[in-house]
Order: sequence, then structure tokens, then C-alpha cells
Amino acid sequence: MSNNDSIFQIRGLKTQFFTSKGIVPAVDGVDITVKKGEAVGLVGESGCGKSMTAMSTMQLLQYPGRVVAGEILLDGENLLEKTKKEMDEIRGNRITMIFQEPMTSLNPVYTIGKQVSEAILIHENVSKEEAKQRTIDIFRKVGIPEPEKRYNVFPHQLSGGLRQRVMIGMAMVCNPQLMIADEPTTALDVTIEAQILYLMKQLQKEQGTAVVMITHNLGVVAESCDYVYVMYAGKIMEEAPVRELFRDPKHPYTFGLMNSIPKMTEVKEHLYTIKGLVPNLLHLPQGCRFCPRCEKAMKVCTMYEPDLYETEDGHKVRCFLYNKEVMNSGK
Amino acid sequence: MENRKILVETRELTKEFKTVSSTWSKSKGIVHAVTDVNLQIYEGETLGVVGESGCGKSTLGRLILRLLEPTRGSVLFDGQDLSQLKTEELRDMRKQMQMVFQDPYASLNPRLKIRDIVAEPLVTHHIVKSKEESTAIVEDLLRKCGIRPEFMYRYPHQFSGGQRQRVSIARALALNPRLIVCDEPVSALDVSIQSQILNLLGDLQAERNLTYIFISHDLSVVRYLSDRVCVMFLGKVCELGITREIYADPIHPYTRFLLDAVPIPDPERKKESKDMLTGEIPSPVNPPSGCYFRTRCPYATEHCAQEAPELREVRPGRFVACHRAGEV
Repeated sequence: MSNNDSIFQIRGLKTQFFTSKGIVPAVDGVDITVKKGEAVGLVGESGCGKSMTAMSTMQLLQYPGRVVAGEILLDGENLLEKTKKEMDEIRGNRITMIFQEPMTSLNPVYTIGKQVSEAILIHENVSKEEAKQRTIDIFRKVGIPEPEKRYNVFPHQLSGGLRQRVMIGMAMVCNPQLMIADEPTTALDVTIEAQILYLMKQLQKEQGTAVVMITHNLGVVAESCDYVYVMYAGKIMEEAPVRELFRDPKHPYTFGLMNSIPKMTEVKEHLYTIKGLVPNLLHLPQGCRFCPRCEKAMKVCTMYEPDLYETEDGHKVRCFLYNKEVMNSGK
Repeated sequence: MENRKILVETRELTKEFKTVSSTWSKSKGIVHAVTDVNLQIYEGETLGVVGESGCGKSTLGRLILRLLEPTRGSVLFDGQDLSQLKTEELRDMRKQMQMVFQDPYASLNPRLKIRDIVAEPLVTHHIVKSKEESTAIVEDLLRKCGIRPEFMYRYPHQFSGGQRQRVSIARALALNPRLIVCDEPVSALDVSIQSQILNLLGDLQAERNLTYIFISHDLSVVRYLSDRVCVMFLGKVCELGITREIYADPIHPYTRFLLDAVPIPDPERKKESKDMLTGEIPSPVNPPSGCYFRTRCPYATEHCAQEAPELREVRPGRFVACHRAGEV
């Protein structure tokens, strides 16, 4: 993967929360690369740090959270070195974000038309009429029926699916280089979810926007992403092209996740389970953080933390099972 | 299936809610939450109830337990009409039916210890005289549900979501019920925890011959756990049958779209263009005439707008409410 075709890169990102009980390493050294026009999935269970990675990128972290190390590169520029004013220019324009809750992420006291045209007026030097026209155009594009009429409608007058369409419209209206979608369909019904995923995919193809899709739903990842990162307790555990990952999940955690979801096509007597619970980030186990729940844990796993090891078929796996030296030494 | 005992039967069960009239508007609407539902649930089976938000699946669950009074129709539990029972008799009947709720954070009293939460139904129904007396029973229940008995003096906030759901299940089991209504019991949980709870529910059923009504919007979870599935749309049953058969060959157009919309965790089977439902779910205050689904249905005809389709048996054990079932 050469640097030239990557539009967005996170290098060694560490985000920590300085709480009264201690330092919580929510994101603990994460590397992510997104190529131009690519859809990248970031999967994990609640509390694994996937949303915090997004919030760090947007620099929307709330006290007591802080990025303590790493680089976030958009088109080669490090966002962490930008001033607040420069970030305001980038946010909503070059990087946009869609949140899970379409109910709470729109302002209830402004019409949806005003909110979307505001985004254009802030970032671009256009007249109000032009902004309005572009808003109506984008509404039409994201499939809002009767866009001229809906321009003057308030968020509470729309259903969840339509609100999410407004959010997507707002995120796409300035032709961003990167769109981060944080659980964009989790609050929606399946038939609406299918519509929204399809819409996002279409827009992504048309405008060549790179997408980071944050989700816990492996089905959504399989349908909408090209490349996947699996996150656990603040670290990337495995990364691979989507087909590779689903064909042959290598990390015991990825394997466990995939096998613990019931399938539509087959019925087993018992579902696979990952025993135990997600570790408390304040008291991470020594060695590999998945080790206490891992069926394949070895002695070395309790002592050292594994790196990401590259396998022959293009996975990167944070597990000693894929470290040749460790496996050959027979520890 | 025919010779199995029917545990629960609903007859034209209907629930309508009046929308609250505000100071500013006098128009009173009626929400048709559940309309004319006829179901027979056999002892020892799991009936999955699926549908999108607002389709009335939770209301149906509550009506069956008589946590809500039906507007019309009746529920028969073990042959007895629940609405005819007096308060005392109903209370007695309630021992046999329990519920597990979706949100394990809201359904456990934060000020009670786990022991007291699980013991509460035992005390209420005078099976034990005091909470102290119940300790041995509670220990046993918690152990069965995968909670270490020494944790019973802790409070709910000291447990994770999955553990809390285990406590809810232990509480539901305390009275040794025959029927448990599970209303989205795993929706709030992470996938790795979800499978633990599903396995637990399955094991308990096998051990105690429990009957489950399993309400969920997650079609793959329902597929895993249910013997039969009931698909609901806007308060009405649109398809009912054996799970395996419905998933393999859905007849009602809505069931077909619903199953097709589920994202499959397998990129090899990714469909480039799905047949997708257009439009939104109609409002239950003002449902369309005739078939409620017709406004989103690509096969709808004039007939569908005029007459609401009855749920009819199209093949043994398979019921579909569609005029054009079998044609399209």
C-alpha cells in the first residue's frame, strides 16, 4: 500500500481519558489507512474504542479525553497540528461524520433545509439562493420525496429513515474527501437499513468519497466495506480485505465474533461463545489483552503483547499464533 | 404438531390506543397497535414474533400476559380466558407466565440486591415467607443462569449487561413458569454476550419444557431460537409457519422483503442489487384501506385496496394474509 493513493491515515493514535480512577487508554496505538474512494470498516463491540477513534479524528473528544500520541493525516496534512479555526474549516467540509442517532444529531429548532444550507454557506462562498438550490438537489439525490416542500420541514416531522437521509445529505453536500459513519443504521429497521446502506454505497461510488464505517454489525461490514479492521479493547486485532477476513478469520477474537452470530441459513444446536467479558480498560491483563478469553492462549500470550504480524494471504493479525519465531520455538 | 397441547390461544386479540389530545388540537386519533390476532401457541415450543418497530409485537406480548387490557378479543391460557379471571385468580395464573425485558439496565431495581430481586416473586406469591428463607432457592437459580451464587449480595450496577440479563432470566424462572415472554432479550447486548444468553435460553427450555414467545427484530436470532415464526406488519399477522420453511420459502411479499433486507455476514453472497422495499412504514393511526402493506407492495392490485386479506392456511401449518399468495 503506497502512500500516494491513501487519502486518510491514522498512525499510532493513542487517546486516553484522564479520570479520577486512573488513565483509561480508550484508543491504544491504532493504525488505519484509507485509500481514495475506499470503504473501510471498523468493527468491534461496545467500548472497544471504535467511536473514540472517530471522535479523535474529528477532534470532538470531550473532557477528560485527550489524544496523547500519533498522527492523523488527511491528504498528507496532520490534523492534530491544526488550530481550532483550521479544524472548523475541515470539519463538515473535507471530513464529515454521520452519527447513530438521527433523532439527536439534528437541531430540532431549525428546518432541515436551513441546517443543510448552513453547512454550504459556512464552507463555501455562495449566495443563499444557490445554497438553497444545492440543498434541494442533494435532498433529491438522497431520496427525500418532494424536496422543495421538505426544505421547510422540522426534524421531528420526519421518520428516522428520512432523518438519516438528511444527515447523509448534509455530510455529502460539500463533496468531502472522507466520510465517517458511526453506526449509521443501528437505530433503523432492516428494510430502511437496506435502503440507507444502498444509498451510501451509491453516493460513495458517484462522488469517490472514502468512507470509514464504524459498526458492530458484521453483516453491514460484509455488505458495504472493502477492507476491515477488527478492534478489541483499544487495539486493532486483525485487518484484511473483506472477503479474506470473512473467508478465513485468523485472530481467535475475530473467529469467535463471526461464529457467535446466529446464521440465517443454518441452525446449530449451540452457538459458539467467547467466554468471559470484555476487560476493564483500567485493569488490562498483562500480555495479550484477549488472552484471558482466548481458547488458544499459550504461555507467551500471558507475558508479552503481540504485534500485528502479516500473513501470506494479506491479513495482519495481532496474535502469536502467526509469529513464526514464537511458533517454532515451541513455548 | 396437531396432537401437541395448546398452551396459549389468542382470539381476535385487538388493542387500540387513543392518542392523547393536546391543548392545541382536538382531533383524537386511534392507534391500531394490534388488530385481530389469532394465534395458537403449543406447549414447549418457541414462537418467534418478528417485525419492524411499531408493528405491535411488544404490545402483543404484553396483551398475552394481560399486562395490557385488550380492546377486543381474548387470551386463553391453558384453556382459561384470562380476561374473565378475578384479581386473585389472575394472580395465581401469573405464576405460570413470566417476562424477560429488553433493557437489563431498566428492568432491575437498582436499590435491591440481586438476591432480593430474584426472591421477590417467591415472596409475592407466598412461596417463601421471607427473602431470607429463599436464599437456597436463589442460589440454585443463579447457578443455573450462570451467575456465581456468592455474587447475590451485590447490586445490579455491579454487573455487566449480559450478567444482568442472566439475573432477569433467573427472576423469571423463580416461580417455575410454563410460559416466558422474551421481549428483545438480547438486543441490548454485544454479539459475544448475545450468544451466551441465547444458549442459556435454549438450555433452560430443553431442561424445563418451557414455552417461549420470543419477540425480536433480529431475524437471524429468531431463526436460531424459534420453532415457528409469526411475521407482523402494522399490528396484523401477515405470515405464520414453521421457521425453517418460512426462511427457505417466504410467501408473503413483506416477509420476502424483510428477509432479503437483512445484511448477511458473508461478502461472497453479497448481492449487488437487492430488491428493496421503497417507502416508509404507514402510520398505525391512519392505516391504508384494505391490505395494510399494499402501499409498499409491488404486487398490489385494486383488490388489495378494497378488501383486507384474511390470514388463510395456504399449506398445512402455513398461514398467509395476502390476496395474491401463491401467484406472485
